[in-house]
Amino acid sequence: MIQTTQVQEGITLHCCTDTRFKTGCLTVQLVRPITVGEAAMNALLPAVLLRGSARYPDLRSITLRLDDLYGTTVGTQVRKIGDYQTTGLYCGFIDDRYTVEGAGFFSSVIDFLRELMLRPRTEDGAFCREFVESEKKNLLSAIEAQRNDKRIYAADQLMKYMGKADTLGISRMGEPEKVAQITPQALYEHYQRILRESKIELFYVGGCQPETVFRLVKSLFQDVNRCYVNLPAQTPFCDGGKTRNIQQMDVTQAKLQMGFLLDTAADNGDFVPMQVLNNVLGGMTGKLFMNIREKQSLCYDIGSVYQGCKGVLAVSAGMDCADAEKVEQGVLGEIEDCCRGEITPEELESAKQTLYSSLRTVHDSPGGIENYYGTGALSGLSLSIEEYIRRVRETTVEQISDLAKRLQLHSVFILKGVQ
Amino acid sequence: MEKREYPRLNETVYWDKLPNGLTLAIVPKKGFSRKTAYFATGMGAVHRRFRMDGKDYEAPMGVAHFLEHKLFDMPERDISGEFAALGASVNAFTSYDMTAYYFSATEHFEKCLQLLLEMVTKPYFTDETVQKEQGIIGQEIDMNLDSPETRIFENLSKAMYEKHPVREPILGTKQTIACITPQVLYDCHRAGYNPQNMLLCVVTDTDPEQVRQLAQTYTACMEQPRVEFESCWQEEMTCPTPVIRDRMEVARPIFQVAFKCEPFHTGAQGVYEEFVGELAAEALFGESSPLYLKLYEEGLIDPSFGGGLDSLQDYVTLNAIGDSDDPFAVRDAILQEGARIAAQGIGEEDFLRMKRSALGSRIRALDQFDSVCFRLCAYYFTGFDYFAFPEIYEQVRSEDVQAFIARVVTPERCSLSLIEPKEDRV
Repeated sequence: MIQTTQVQEGITLHCCTDTRFKTGCLTVQLVRPITVGEAAMNALLPAVLLRGSARYPDLRSITLRLDDLYGTTVGTQVRKIGDYQTTGLYCGFIDDRYTVEGAGFFSSVIDFLRELMLRPRTEDGAFCREFVESEKKNLLSAIEAQRNDKRIYAADQLMKYMGKADTLGISRMGEPEKVAQITPQALYEHYQRILRESKIELFYVGGCQPETVFRLVKSLFQDVNRCYVNLPAQTPFCDGGKTRNIQQMDVTQAKLQMGFLLDTAADNGDFVPMQVLNNVLGGMTGKLFMNIREKQSLCYDIGSVYQGCKGVLAVSAGMDCADAEKVEQGVLGEIEDCCRGEITPEELESAKQTLYSSLRTVHDSPGGIENYYGTGALSGLSLSIEEYIRRVRETTVEQISDLAKRLQLHSVFILKGVQ
Repeated sequence: MEKREYPRLNETVYWDKLPNGLTLAIVPKKGFSRKTAYFATGMGAVHRRFRMDGKDYEAPMGVAHFLEHKLFDMPERDISGEFAALGASVNAFTSYDMTAYYFSATEHFEKCLQLLLEMVTKPYFTDETVQKEQGIIGQEIDMNLDSPETRIFENLSKAMYEKHPVREPILGTKQTIACITPQVLYDCHRAGYNPQNMLLCVVTDTDPEQVRQLAQTYTACMEQPRVEFESCWQEEMTCPTPVIRDRMEVARPIFQVAFKCEPFHTGAQGVYEEFVGELAAEALFGESSPLYLKLYEEGLIDPSFGGGLDSLQDYVTLNAIGDSDDPFAVRDAILQEGARIAAQGIGEEDFLRMKRSALGSRIRALDQFDSVCFRLCAYYFTGFDYFAFPEIYEQVRSEDVQAFIARVVTPERCSLSLIEPKEDRV
């Protein structure tokens, strides 16, 4: 069970006490409306926080402390959830029961997190220039390195083109030009502002009782002079027009990305049936896999994902360049079959069973719990596991074919080799 | 069935050996929805030459992986679909020295286990299905050709080893897989999927006895030919090619630097050697090492940097991979740091801290069912009961880590594999 409590105005603690794990986790997320102007700073921020604090002034002292805390890990966590970007830290640690200290170990972890987040190392009222500059360089490299993985690269390009008028097109990592412009002063001021104004989500999974967790995390932000600014609600997809783009790169295999959009704004009631449709089509044993891969041997990698916040279904495939057209037509054909209701009871049942199984295993790992509820609460599509399963079970072929009819091919992106 | 308790990890494993020689490891986990089973053979990509019942065989490169794909076929049946209908997901992987088939399910566990056992023990290949798979795997090969991580590792292996089959790609090439026929697959299946060369590892909250009975029923059909795999690939402890370069569509240069190490022994001794090597990697360039911090602060490495130990039969490397604008400076700095540690040793306090952190990471990994199964299988094939690792960690002495670094981190044993951006990027 997840217990949700308000710590202060705009600060919420989600606590899942569970003694089955050897590991616990705590995430601290500042939630921002995603904008091109701010995205780069939010992406950079946690990396700078992990470089040094007043008490642990450099990487060496931070990592030594982490080792002392039984190999506790602290990482940056920057997510994009619909119109929101979250920025903050993820912390994974061993459960109290496996430490020499026993009960009380978690409070050392909290002390350490407070130190990193609220007492960053500063100079002249700004973040350390050296930290900011070196993390800017790392972030720029990471943005560039996205082109190293061609599937991810192609998927990002599709979102960029398809979402040119929507937050869908804004990168979670920020634009390189914006990263380059960031100064230590501007980043520090931005951080102070978002600490005061943002919605803050804390998520704990581990063996400690909720009262203990509440007492400990309450101290995290007590010295911040909070002035909470309401977070705007998620908005439907804003259409900037259809696109079709082909890009050349020196690659062996071509990549196809097709973005489909629900013709009317996706409402909450569409979310679960759309996930069923997504699995019927592009799941592990869906139509695309069975027909385009297994029957026609055109692809190794083919599948689809559905983004509920925006009503966007993206199909991705890797194939021989000469077969790109065939695969594209094949995908359209499979969707037409869905429109006509040509979905066998086995296909429907497989898709449903896959969803049940992934939903039932959410509670089997701290990361699974954090990810499901942490992102669900913000996406506006928050459903309990039981409710989600119930809606999957109720989904009919008619519903799926109605949804498939509402799907319009919006944009296509193809990455091709140089001939 | 032998019930073995591991009080330090708060775990229990039921171990058993069936009359046909198949080993079972059943890990009870109460209170979890998920159940997982791994059915693994010690035959991987490197085991393509063998002697079976007095006859010698040499199968084409990529055969183990091809076989892995094809075991999902059963006549007139759709195995993935059957798993899906049970709400389970099934998959498999082929590494250099192991092939494993696994599923995870929340319900219908027995039915899923039965399917997994049937699928792996009842091969079915036809010309038509083999030909179809050549197209699919051909696409997987192309995908890998565009993957910098795969390319950099394959190049590195060629630079470091002269004859070890780690030089060959796990997937083979389009040419080699074109030579695969149903008969080749049947022969390899018979040789590698011998119960004495396999482990069934299950994490579940169901009755262990039931698992044993199912395993016994569904593996009764397995043959037990006399098989010897070619298995001696020992090499000189020097690298023939110090630097190997390639160009791809990447943003910045990617490097992998590696040092050739003596192969490990089997059993607990080998695991001791592995932990020594692992701690050597930590001391040398782990995230809390002085060198990592220095290189990071100088901007020579970034968060993409990481390293450790890779090992398989007759093959061990200490290696690190990352993006850098100056990979040669990184390599030289590692060599220099190796020389420093070799001369000065590791402080006792630092050593204890590293051990504590490494032990903590391994304990935490036990929350992941896949990690538990994978490690139980991989260590089983090297002759070690994985859950005994805390005891081994305790024994590791800092002098051994120092001696390891002194022996291994030298220019003669080092190769650097580089992937550089294409000059004329489009």
